[in-house]
Amino acid sequence: MIKLQNITKSFGRLQVLKGIDLVVEKGEVVAILGPSGSGKTTLLRCINYLEKPSDGEITIDDFTVNCKRPSKKDIHTLRGKTAMVFQQYNLFRHKTALENVMEGLVVVQKVEKEEARRRSIELLEKVGLGNKLNAYPSQLSGGQQQRVGIARALALNPEVILFDEPTSALDPELVGEVLAVIRNIAKEGITMIIVTHEMGFAHDVANHVVFMDEGIIVEEGKPNDIFVSPKEERTKQFLKRITPEGVYSI
Amino acid sequence: MKLDPSFIWTALVELLSAVPTTLNVTMVSILFGTLIGTIVALIRIYRVPVLNPIASAYVTVIRGTPMLTHLLLIYYGLPMLVNGLSDSFGWSFRAASIPMIGFAYLSFSITSGAYLSEVVRSGMLAVNRGQIEAAYAVGMTTPQALRRIVLPQAFAVSLPNLTNALIGALHGSTLVFSLTVVDINAKAQIVASTNWKFFDAYLAAAILYWGLTVLIEQLSGLLEKRINVYNRGGVA
Repeated sequence: MIKLQNITKSFGRLQVLKGIDLVVEKGEVVAILGPSGSGKTTLLRCINYLEKPSDGEITIDDFTVNCKRPSKKDIHTLRGKTAMVFQQYNLFRHKTALENVMEGLVVVQKVEKEEARRRSIELLEKVGLGNKLNAYPSQLSGGQQQRVGIARALALNPEVILFDEPTSALDPELVGEVLAVIRNIAKEGITMIIVTHEMGFAHDVANHVVFMDEGIIVEEGKPNDIFVSPKEERTKQFLKRITPEGVYSI
Repeated sequence: MKLDPSFIWTALVELLSAVPTTLNVTMVSILFGTLIGTIVALIRIYRVPVLNPIASAYVTVIRGTPMLTHLLLIYYGLPMLVNGLSDSFGWSFRAASIPMIGFAYLSFSITSGAYLSEVVRSGMLAVNRGQIEAAYAVGMTTPQALRRIVLPQAFAVSLPNLTNALIGALHGSTLVFSLTVVDINAKAQIVASTNWKFFDAYLAAAILYWGLTVLIEQLSGLLEKRINVYNRGGVA
């Protein structure tokens, strides 16, 4: 279980997160939606401390970090429980696909090299890249790179995988292959938090949808609660603006 | 005066005995210079309290003064320091037992460290921020992320500049003759002093330096080719 309590974050005088409370149950797939500037990516990045929250509490399983004064060890432990898939993939450029997936296992989790290699190959096959083990990121398409990114996250066997707009940087024709991979791993009961603009995908894959605007959670619930019968005016406006008519007539 | 090709050849062969000295001075100053430079670059990038202003001062002072001046200051200053320390602590060690080449190692390492710190710093700044974030996200500590992810990529980016620095250090090493260390250049003078064919001897030295430089360029080219397997950036 992941529990965020009163997370706030300011960049200078600009308050980006104004007190976020969120509970994510084990195995849940959470989609975070919202207009740009709503703080959704910042929130996601606060969960593994790539962004330092100004205040609040983050609990993953039975490990709690108080964001007022976290120790280096706290942050390290927290990161050990999470994995992230980035918008820009951020694969290690000087390492092959296989080395990218192995890196965390060998360096951080101290898994034996042969074992790490075996598991990494398995994961790359699972995301359909069994034939690209020795390719460098620069030799892969965006969709392929992102699938390596997902394999790299899966390899760590984390409590939760954080997806930061995983398909936003992709050519339209490559979005499908990445969403298909995420769809597949969602079925395996891995806890996932996904910041996305893919409404159809969020509707199908998520079992918990969160709508954010201006640094607060405006509304959250089951996908149908949000997509079909949103209560808040702000949510309705947002959905009307970005979904073509008729798509969500269920 | 006529050029004496056979003497140029003789001189060239004789100069070969001084190549190890030249290469020693060059390699030592680049190796320690890179070490110093990396530490200084890290201090400046992470704005380490107390050390950051010291590092900045080091870079501006050393880059602001000539290499020969560093060598002379070390040559005359270090003995005062060493002997003074020896006296006050009652050690028997005297500065006279430091070999001449030791002054060159120390002085040139300090010189290259300042220049190389900027090479390393610019290399590190050229590595995308996403790379270290990804390293953190898989759970690495900062030292792990720097060692495994950032520095190798920074090195790749910096290779042309590092090659420049290495060639600069090779040519700069000629200054050791002012300490009576016999490098290629000093050897040329010695070889010529027997028959006064200075031009021929220095021409031989020039050919040798050029040869060594070409060697460095070739090695760097090979390395760059290897790196380009993953790093296909730039305009071409």
